[in-house]
Amino acid sequence: MSSKVAVGSDIGQARRTVEQLRMEAGIDRVKAADLLQFCTEQAKSDPFLVGIPAATNPFKEKKPCAIL
Amino acid sequence: MATDGLHENETLASLKMEAESLKGKLEEERAKLHDVELHQVAERVEALGQFVMKTRRTLKGHGNKVLCMDWCKDKRRIVSSSQDGKVIVWDSFTTNKEHAVTMPCTWVMACAYAPSGCAIACGGLDNKCSVYPLTFDKNENMAAKKKSVAMHTNYLSACSFTNSDMQILTASGDGTCALWDVESGQLLQSFHGHGADVLCLDLAPSETGNTFVSGGCDKKAMVWDMRSGQCVQAFETHESDINSVRYYPSGDAFASGSDDATCRLYDLRADREVAIYSKESIIFGASSVDFSLSGRLLFAGYNDYTINVWDVLKGARVSILFGHENRVSTLRVSPDGTAFCSGSWDHTLRVWA
Repeated sequence: MSSKVAVGSDIGQARRTVEQLRMEAGIDRVKAADLLQFCTEQAKSDPFLVGIPAATNPFKEKKPCAIL
Repeated sequence: MATDGLHENETLASLKMEAESLKGKLEEERAKLHDVELHQVAERVEALGQFVMKTRRTLKGHGNKVLCMDWCKDKRRIVSSSQDGKVIVWDSFTTNKEHAVTMPCTWVMACAYAPSGCAIACGGLDNKCSVYPLTFDKNENMAAKKKSVAMHTNYLSACSFTNSDMQILTASGDGTCALWDVESGQLLQSFHGHGADVLCLDLAPSETGNTFVSGGCDKKAMVWDMRSGQCVQAFETHESDINSVRYYPSGDAFASGSDDATCRLYDLRADREVAIYSKESIIFGASSVDFSLSGRLLFAGYNDYTINVWDVLKGARVSILFGHENRVSTLRVSPDGTAFCSGSWDHTLRVWA
């Protein structure tokens, strides 16, 4: 491979990097999404936070029952 | 090629300088909206109580390291893949093995369940992603119906069906991600931009639109537009390989786990890192991360055999889970959020609740 081709691909790569960075620098930024609000709203339906009783969670053992 | 479109003052050096100054500008733009850290905003939020999470099921059967696992939408079945070349479908309630297929290669690093629950996809050192329809016909050989879908030029590190059984997204050691049509095996879109192996990917929740995030050995997390193939945002704050990426349930953020022993949270609308989950005592890499349903908890599996549970808002660790006897390599929360499953180099999978 001649050095001209190698330089060509380096320039191509560098050009693509500059174009990509230009695009990224230009995007619209807004204040951080309200992750807090989402968490609080969804907390009631999060099984790990609310806790599921052994009776309804298929993974937890049910209390042993005695057969009389 | 060397002289093609080369402007008078555009040399390699000038382009590199421009790139550096653009990177500086990017940091400035990101800092402009930087009011406070997430944990400061969350100061008034009620602290979490004590958690009791235990191993409720242990899935034994793989002959070597478990490398990947995925849940079926039925919240019960699990597919897992291993270094031993086997892919197994389990019923996690009963721990029974429902299907097993032996791949032609070892190190099956990726596996995924189809949304319909009727097929699985997997691949690894064979550089391919193959789809196997699941059949309950005892006379049928699963391997006979195998369909080769994706072809990369290096190992397959991750795969995921999109919203349907018809398309698969793959990530590879060849530095690219790709979108494939399952039926025809046709390449629909390829995603170039990572400077090294891509190790993980995650699709945005369907309501958020057509994007996905990928993480790689170049320490970058990149967000892609699936239609155009364009990278829309990139984050380079980790100090080592990014092993796992997962969207926050609302789709507005994503978490990452890295060999630098930290997990981080990135806000997509503010375009910056908003939290780091780390402790001085945690020195081994995080291999896999996933959120609880509300996004309040982040479960992370580590190379020191433990699973740490983080309060996403406050940045503190709320629990540390012991049980695995070797590295935790994969971790996913079940579709209804009632449990999570971890896979390990100790050959087992554990379901925790």
